[in-house]
Amino acid sequence: MGSVKRITKELAELTQSPPEGITVELAEEGDVYNWKIHMEGPEGSPYHKGNFLVKLSLPTEYPFKPPTVSFVTKIYHPNVTNDDKGSMCLGMLRADEWKPSSKIAAVLQFARQLLSEPMPDDAVEGRIAEQYKNDRPRYEEVAREWTRKHA
Amino acid sequence: MNLEEFLAMEESREQDELIDLRGLDFVSEYDSHLMCPICHCPFVDPVHLQCDHVFCGSCLSSAITTFRSADSDDFPCPSCRVPAKEISTSVPRLLINMCDEIRVRCPLLTEGCQEIIPRGHVQSHVEKYCGYRLVPCPDDSCDKMMRSNDVGIKTKCMHAVRFCSRCEENVVEQDFEEHESKLCPVLEVSCAHCLTVVTRGELDAHVELCPEVAIPCSASKYACPVKIRRPDIKYHEQICPLVAMGPYFEGQNARLNSLELGMRHLQQRNEIFEDGLANIRSTLVESTRVNSNSHNNRSSGQSGRDQQPRTRSESTPDDSEDLATSIFSSTANSYLLSLHESLREQVGQLSHAITDLDARASMTIMNESLRLKEDMALTNAAMNSVRMQVQWLMNPRLHQAPRGTVRANNTEGTRTQLDSSASTAGPSTTSAQSLGFLRPRRSSDTGREGTKL
Repeated sequence: MGSVKRITKELAELTQSPPEGITVELAEEGDVYNWKIHMEGPEGSPYHKGNFLVKLSLPTEYPFKPPTVSFVTKIYHPNVTNDDKGSMCLGMLRADEWKPSSKIAAVLQFARQLLSEPMPDDAVEGRIAEQYKNDRPRYEEVAREWTRKHA
Repeated sequence: MNLEEFLAMEESREQDELIDLRGLDFVSEYDSHLMCPICHCPFVDPVHLQCDHVFCGSCLSSAITTFRSADSDDFPCPSCRVPAKEISTSVPRLLINMCDEIRVRCPLLTEGCQEIIPRGHVQSHVEKYCGYRLVPCPDDSCDKMMRSNDVGIKTKCMHAVRFCSRCEENVVEQDFEEHESKLCPVLEVSCAHCLTVVTRGELDAHVELCPEVAIPCSASKYACPVKIRRPDIKYHEQICPLVAMGPYFEGQNARLNSLELGMRHLQQRNEIFEDGLANIRSTLVESTRVNSNSHNNRSSGQSGRDQQPRTRSESTPDDSEDLATSIFSSTANSYLLSLHESLREQVGQLSHAITDLDARASMTIMNESLRLKEDMALTNAAMNSVRMQVQWLMNPRLHQAPRGTVRANNTEGTRTQLDSSASTAGPSTTSAQSLGFLRPRRSSDTGREGTKL
């Protein structure tokens, strides 16, 4: 299994030198395909001081198929679905955009980047995207409120 | 070479590969540029594409099978997605050398081989030189494997069972030496704490009871740092305040746990309620918005009252209870208003329909009358032409009329004939006869009447 080897390697790299504001561990000992990630809200965003639990699941065909990222913690964000799945829409994770040379570290950094700079044009929550574009202070207020309540 | 050839070549190579070079334990650091972007290991049998990206042969072949769309002769490069057709197996020797130079541990580490060798030599090391590789037992009657190291020293089978005379146990030949010198339970060892000499078999039981062994205070889980000899611990436990408080701590712990459980439960319930409340609120806000929009046009006072809760609901979603009550109180009112509004709308629609119908009816009437007028004009024209003809026909008769009256008596006979024939058709023979004299005159009269038309 080439995927297990590569995944353990990436996991070791991420636990040894984690990117800023991100800590990584396995959801369950012995199952390398499901990761539990704690992501701190980036400074300067309404998610600052929030600690978000993110689930990353890797397909067995990894790195040939992209991983999926979902927010376990509720978050008010145009690119994260506001249901119990909390799936995140990342451009680089779409099947036709994914490259086997992309690393999980890059995916996580991109996801955190998305917290400070949402992309309302790629939104999955149209209402929040609308608000982000037209009524920024209101969006920030609600996002901060949710962060305080849930994260 | 093209894709098909490459895939075939990779398949044949996979079969004769013995050691998984990617599973090796890399000892020396290596440059990240020597790492295949797909498997994140130093390149194994590297190949390169037209776009100058290098991959392991086997990684690339699995990438091709995953990404190639239905037997087309190209596929996107896993690094830059540029379509690639040709795969070249000739990569710089420098790259291969650098990859083969990386130091790894012998894969037989689990067997005991501690050697560290360059990766390029692993294959030959495992096959020929490693002392820990397994070879068939030199004894023909034994079908087990043994380490090649041991084969050179002793030529007898190491799998035979040997009897240890001291502990009366059966031990396999290859472990006997170790057993005799270290493991046999009859051997005497001294306790590390009290220096008493006991046999190996009884050591574990002795350590349990040895008075010199330092054991932790029973309140160590409540942070008592004391760790002293077994006889002294009893005395310590009598005076240790943490031990005395132990049961209390225990109780507190249990209480905390139950409280935490309850809190979690409540939190979940609270979340459910909040969600429900948010749902209700959003529907309410929507309905009030619709109402106020419809009232905006007509009654500014009403819309002002309606907008107030709306704006408030948008600005302070937390203030939910307050908001809900205010909305509920206005709900009945706004419901009636909306009912009124919808009725008004219906009336408006009906009146609109009526005016529409009216306009259509008047239109058709106008059309019809126009056509009738035209018809009438046509008939008039036709009649005029007929009248002209009649006049033209009558003119000679009018000119003849004066002479006709002179000769009236002469023509009396013929005229009576005519009159009698007319009397058979008409109902009034006498009037026709009496009119007989006036006929020319009358015909001129009718002619004049015609001109009037």
